[in-house]
Amino acid sequence: MIQLKTMLNCIDNSGAAIVECVNVMKMKRHAKIGDRIIVVVQKQRNFGPESGPGASVSTTAANKVRRGDIRHAVVVRTAKKLQRPDGSVVKFDDNACVLINKAGEPIGTRLNGIVGTELRKMKWSKILSLAPMHL
Amino acid sequence: MATSIHTLRPLACWKSILRRNRQYKVATRSLTTYHQNVTFAKYQLLPPDAKPEGPKKIKIFPSPPLPSANTKEPLKAFCADQIALLDPTGARTALFSRTNPEAAKVGDILLVRLKGGDPFAGVCINIRRRGVDTGILLRNQLTRVGVEMWYKIYSPNVEGIEVVQRAVKRARRARLTYMRKPKHDVGSVQNLVLAYQRSRSGLRGVAQKEEGLKGGKKKSVRGKKH
Repeated sequence: MIQLKTMLNCIDNSGAAIVECVNVMKMKRHAKIGDRIIVVVQKQRNFGPESGPGASVSTTAANKVRRGDIRHAVVVRTAKKLQRPDGSVVKFDDNACVLINKAGEPIGTRLNGIVGTELRKMKWSKILSLAPMHL
Repeated sequence: MATSIHTLRPLACWKSILRRNRQYKVATRSLTTYHQNVTFAKYQLLPPDAKPEGPKKIKIFPSPPLPSANTKEPLKAFCADQIALLDPTGARTALFSRTNPEAAKVGDILLVRLKGGDPFAGVCINIRRRGVDTGILLRNQLTRVGVEMWYKIYSPNVEGIEVVQRAVKRARRARLTYMRKPKHDVGSVQNLVLAYQRSRSGLRGVAQKEEGLKGGKKKSVRGKKH
């Protein structure tokens, strides 16, 4: 149930850590897995301290988005239960999203975390292929 | 040539014609207007023992016998039928029955094998017993994110349900939703499940070898629990 003011985790390496939903696109309801939303970056991920030698690469990756940026994103996990057509129900512990550009391509180059299989139905195969696991 | 006569008739002729008409009028005024009710007379002619014509009698047929007369609880019967259809061996029913001491209980680690897709394993934190709609709630952590899945035990998509590990102590709650809290969360059970799967596959391999030694060409029966 992603709606105005919902805080989501950003699970890609675009540089955003926590984002806030400001709009759900193409509908008047809350967003579910696979829906496109507009977000504001609230907290940046700091790659600096933990990555020693590859810091320059990380910082460039981190610089892709900055705090306060308005970006498009795709919801990949929701804490709200979501029923599948076969009767099974999936529920994650957190709300998470992946930042994308206006053309629909992910801004980051890798994801860290499980994503919902509903992305396939919604034609987000690029995000699915980046994800380490989907359920 | 009648028409020509009419047209050629002089106008002075009208007076005499109308006069004649006036005389007719007098004659008609003197006629009687008495009217005899002929239809009434007809009825009088009917025989005295004839039945009066009342509203038509509608034939009423007895209603067919209701199925409820045979089955006191049709829903229950339907549920039983469905379970018999979806679980012919009765293994699933036994696995989650309240009376069976060997049944899976909350707190156990269960593995659900699916027809189309990867199996899902997790701690069973809830069993929702509702006849054919019976479902189980499994919780696990995948990529350090808590995931919960509901599965219907009689679903045709579920190929099999296996008990990976039983709870050490019987849970004193029906629903272990407190396991969502970080304090009580068991975390990932993937290691246990992997070890279990490896041991199963090892056993299966041994079984296949034995069968091969016997010289049987039969397909090895998969050693599934339920």
